[in-house]
Amino acid sequence: MCGMKPVCKIVKPLLTTNYYDAHVRVIGLYKAYYRFIPYLLRRFDIPKSEEDCRWKLREMFYKNACVTDIRVIDMLVIKGFMNLKEMTNNWQQKGHVIANWNPSIENKPCDFVGKFLAGVD
Amino acid sequence: MLRQPLSKALALSPCARLAPVTGRRYAQVQAQPEKVEVFIDDKPVYVLPGTTVLQAAALVGVEIPRFCYHERLAVAGNCRMCLVEVEKSPKPVAACAMPVMKGMRVKTTSDLTRKAREGVMEFLLVNHPLDCPICDQGGECDLQDQSMAFGSDKSRFTDIHFSGKRAVEDKDVGPLIKTVMTRCIHCTRCIRFASEVAGIDDLGTTGRGTDMQVGTYVEKMFLSELSGNVIDLCPVGALTSKPYSFAARPWETRRIDSIDVLDPLGSNIVVATRTNEVLRILPRTNEEINEEWLADKSRFACDGLKRQRLVTPMVADSRGNLTPVEWEDAIVAAAQAIRDCPPEKLVAVAGEMADAEALVSLKDLVNRLGGEHVYTEQSFPLAGAGTDLRSSYLFNTKIANVEESDFVLLIGTNVRFEAPLLNARLRKAFIHKETDVALIGPNVDLTYEYMHVGDSASIVKELASGTSNHEVLKRLQSAKRPVLILGADQLKTPEGAALLAYTQELALKLQGKLEDKEWKVLNVLQRNASQVAALDMGYKPGVTADALKNAKVVYLLGADGGQVTRESLPKDCVVIYQGHHGDRGASIADVVFPGAAYTEKRATFVNAEGRPQQTLVAVTPPGKAREDWKIIRALSEVVGAGLPYDTMDEVRERLADVSPTLVCYGEVQDNNYFAQAQALTQALHCYFAIKRRLISPECIPLLYGALSDEGHPVVVLRAALSDPVSM
Repeated sequence: MCGMKPVCKIVKPLLTTNYYDAHVRVIGLYKAYYRFIPYLLRRFDIPKSEEDCRWKLREMFYKNACVTDIRVIDMLVIKGFMNLKEMTNNWQQKGHVIANWNPSIENKPCDFVGKFLAGVD
Repeated sequence: MLRQPLSKALALSPCARLAPVTGRRYAQVQAQPEKVEVFIDDKPVYVLPGTTVLQAAALVGVEIPRFCYHERLAVAGNCRMCLVEVEKSPKPVAACAMPVMKGMRVKTTSDLTRKAREGVMEFLLVNHPLDCPICDQGGECDLQDQSMAFGSDKSRFTDIHFSGKRAVEDKDVGPLIKTVMTRCIHCTRCIRFASEVAGIDDLGTTGRGTDMQVGTYVEKMFLSELSGNVIDLCPVGALTSKPYSFAARPWETRRIDSIDVLDPLGSNIVVATRTNEVLRILPRTNEEINEEWLADKSRFACDGLKRQRLVTPMVADSRGNLTPVEWEDAIVAAAQAIRDCPPEKLVAVAGEMADAEALVSLKDLVNRLGGEHVYTEQSFPLAGAGTDLRSSYLFNTKIANVEESDFVLLIGTNVRFEAPLLNARLRKAFIHKETDVALIGPNVDLTYEYMHVGDSASIVKELASGTSNHEVLKRLQSAKRPVLILGADQLKTPEGAALLAYTQELALKLQGKLEDKEWKVLNVLQRNASQVAALDMGYKPGVTADALKNAKVVYLLGADGGQVTRESLPKDCVVIYQGHHGDRGASIADVVFPGAAYTEKRATFVNAEGRPQQTLVAVTPPGKAREDWKIIRALSEVVGAGLPYDTMDEVRERLADVSPTLVCYGEVQDNNYFAQAQALTQALHCYFAIKRRLISPECIPLLYGALSDEGHPVVVLRAALSDPVSM
């Protein structure tokens, strides 16, 4: 067998072709959300302050900080705009918005004693 | 008592029917007679002469319908359902009783055969009530199945308009078996089982023709420790289980294969459950242990799994009353006590139904804390080799091989009570294989004739030294495959060491002279399901009074045998009990952890032979009860000596580290250090005079145990029997 040839796969870009453009779009999305926060608090009756929302927004973006694939970044940006649109058009309700803070979900125990006391296997 | 001729024995021997059990080798191999060729539905098959047509058909995969024929019972040939056409025979022949002849051509699907079956079925149904909807056998009834397969599509029974159907009065044969004798089709399987396997000649028939009735001649109880098996044997709903009556249909239940832990044999069972409730326990065929029988204790004790259970952790309050608490509180309370206790004052005692996983966890925990006091309840002499050599405490011959023995000497054991299925094996060997049995111990009823040598332990000494002039010594010496079975209960007393030493010496002397070098002579019959695993792991047998006197914390792992009492402990001693039933152990405890019973956990149990087998989860543990090893694992972390395993697989890896035999499921490892064990014993001079009389329990069938106060040693059984409604 001869040596493995490096294979290059040509993929179709989603929106952008380079990191710079992708980054611009990400920042655009961030700004859009940032500016929407005061309206969001007026529209949805959630027990959060602007500060809380900004931290949550930051957290959401940093959650994907490690994504390097441009197509994935684009896809996430598209989904972000979709989510924003859902909020601006009142397609999402209070429950959907507060769900970002997961107030009712308790973490499952993962250590032995925790699992034992909770009675889960 | 009638002993069957040799030809019967050949037909009944498992070797003829099944692949021989591996590891059995004999000095002389019987010459096999030449095989004859027969044709079943034109398919040729070579079988040994003497095989019946039905067996030959089974070899080529043709199943002939039958009611009375059962492969483990004598052939009766009275139901006529197995009629088949044989070429050049004027009449159809009963396949179960007809031996094959050379060149015989059997037609199992011909018109004549089919007509014969239909006719037989019609006659059977004439005398059988149409009560399938209210019959407990419905769904697992041979008659129901076979009338669907072979019966006629319409009835010609017009007598119903004139004289009505035949009806028979029900018999009362005790609290376990329900009889509806109108349903009986006179297959006589129950009668044959009672007289051949159980050894109770109480069942029989009276009357002839339409007046024939099966029953005990006078009204009496079917008093056998194997009585429940007639329920499985009955092909119709004449004999059904009383505790299970009207409880469920077979298609509603889930069946989980498991292992019985109520006697030391580890019989294979199927646990039938529905809606998280154990409904009944049935035997599962295992030729090497229980064949297809099950002792009544194992079968009917499942009632006890629902009663008197520990369902929540408990801690004793300031007034000493156990109060239910959360797991967290109970574990913290126990952990505090253990942490405050110097390791040499921490004593762990394992009971009779502890599984290997829990045993290894508990031992690891105690050892990690620096303690050494891990005990079992059942004692065993530690002089000489003690429990260091596995062969000293196992049933080395193996249960199935007992059948091949020609002379069995029972020493201080009532096998019928201690291991009913081993007794059934001995009885089978006695009847079919010319095995003779002798007993040293009280003169109990073993259901077969035996030579009663006496009840003094000194007889063993005389036999070992060769000074006895009893006939039994000559018989032992002339035997080709002798077996000694020593009851483990005899080893409890101070003289136990000497008794064991003399038995070992006798066994070694006999073994030295055998032609068959593979044959094992010495057997110790343990009394419970946990002992062998515990000894394999290095538990010390029998908790000593000294250890208890200085104890500060006692951890009871299902120890309900009454060895540990409040009187034997210091006043400030903390007792932690972990187990599934609220019994003696829980009643003296300060902290109670509810564990899982054997139907509720995946766990390893090692039987008296040293054969590890695993139970499977049939139902979930009740309430807040948890699997036993997990409780100890969780406790270990709170104590600060976390055990290094989190999953069952990791525990089993640890088991394998301790002893690889513990995870070879279903296999028995050979043990050969008899001579070394004996040499060690001899070196320590633990011989001394033994004068004691041997005492062993009289066989108390299940019901009588209920009538006597402390009838049964097994905790589940006590729970079952404490509730009069269940019986």
